[in-house]
Amino acid sequence: MNEDVTLAKWLNDDMNDQELKDFMAQPEYATYSKIKEFSGQLTVPQTDMDALYQNITRNRNKANQPKVRKLNPWMPRVAAMLILALGATFFFFTTNTTSQIAGTGERDTFLLPDNSEVVLNAGSEAEYKEFNWSKNRKLELNGEAYFKVAKGKTFDVVTSLGTVTVVGTQFNVRARNGRLDVTCFEGKVKVTNGKETVFLTPGKTVAYENGKKLNLPDVSASGPGWINYETYFGKVRLQEVIREMERQYKVTINLNATVDKRFNGTIPMNNIDTALDQILPVYHLQAKKVGNTITLSAE
Amino acid sequence: MKQEQPAGICEELTFSGFFKSHAKALRNFLYYKFGNEEQADEATQEAFIKLWENCASVPPEKAKSFLYTVANNTTLNHIAHKKVVLEYSKKNVNHDTNNQSPEFLMEEEQFKVKLQNAIANLSEAQRSAFLLHRIDGKKYHEIAEILGIGVKAVEKRIHGALLQLRKEIDTFR
Repeated sequence: MNEDVTLAKWLNDDMNDQELKDFMAQPEYATYSKIKEFSGQLTVPQTDMDALYQNITRNRNKANQPKVRKLNPWMPRVAAMLILALGATFFFFTTNTTSQIAGTGERDTFLLPDNSEVVLNAGSEAEYKEFNWSKNRKLELNGEAYFKVAKGKTFDVVTSLGTVTVVGTQFNVRARNGRLDVTCFEGKVKVTNGKETVFLTPGKTVAYENGKKLNLPDVSASGPGWINYETYFGKVRLQEVIREMERQYKVTINLNATVDKRFNGTIPMNNIDTALDQILPVYHLQAKKVGNTITLSAE
Repeated sequence: MKQEQPAGICEELTFSGFFKSHAKALRNFLYYKFGNEEQADEATQEAFIKLWENCASVPPEKAKSFLYTVANNTTLNHIAHKKVVLEYSKKNVNHDTNNQSPEFLMEEEQFKVKLQNAIANLSEAQRSAFLLHRIDGKKYHEIAEILGIGVKAVEKRIHGALLQLRKEIDTFR
């Protein structure tokens, strides 16, 4: 098969004289010659070749990674953002905790989502999650608080020293410096401390100091004394009593004497002089007040 | 810098030198093919990146044909196949412009536009072959190498292109 490629021959100046003469005689020659002339003047729009090279050197270093051409670069971004937003919202709702804090010399009374009432004593902190509260009534306590719990499912007070579980009741939890005191005023309270579990009925108190159980007398009151600024201490080290007074009165109390005897009794928390009068004779101490600092020393 | 024995394409200097001597022609060719500057740029980059990736296995004398093979295999999405827009170089404009009559000059301008349109209407195969010859001044055997076809096929395409161009220009005279 010998197809006609004469035009290609002519364009490449490959025709011999005779062929060229014949071709030039044709009427179409004028147009062909113009095509040849003007097409030779054509140019391609140019680009910045250096920039192109920069692109290549930049991209070729990523060359070893498998190339994935994304159909729409926005889709995964939008999806990722949605997931993040949803995740963050869910995370926020499920883990968001509400904190209540009563500073030194302060008290804080607040209601839980089910209207259970909590009174935080001075220098105490409570933390709980509002999310799904009715199904999961759990509160973390650091310090002392009095609870009047609404009827419903179990209610847990988690402290670093043990967990107190209750059903519709009023009780006081005090968790400070290795000592846990739980007193039940109404209903039934379950106290779990390590392996041991104790059930409390109204008036009963259970206390653990450094894991050791202490026997304390029953209470006849309908609520903890500290609510009315009459704090009851049952077999408490004097150092702890002093710390409680520091919290309540916002003072610093230095004890410059060694005392072993534990304190048993009630101390007013709204009159520091009366309070000191309750303690000093028992331990044969004298108090010296300088500003907000009280120093207790042997008589 | 220490001199490695046979400087392969992996050598930065060899690679950049190779780019300098071939990138422009490759881009031109891709422009004839796609009629779109952006796509031509992109395909040029891609071909050189492919070359870099395979620099260890492609000997320097095969690099050029490797490049064009990649370029020929590039199938871009022709979302909007733009018209090939070529310009006439200014400096080549006719010899003694002053001696030409206005009618002649106008006719010439009209012819140029017609030629541009006719080239844009050529098939991709014909246009690539024709412009490689006319713009890049490639010999037929070089075009054959670039397109990966025989010289005879190149001649056929050039012949067909001229025929087509002449017909279109004369029809709309």
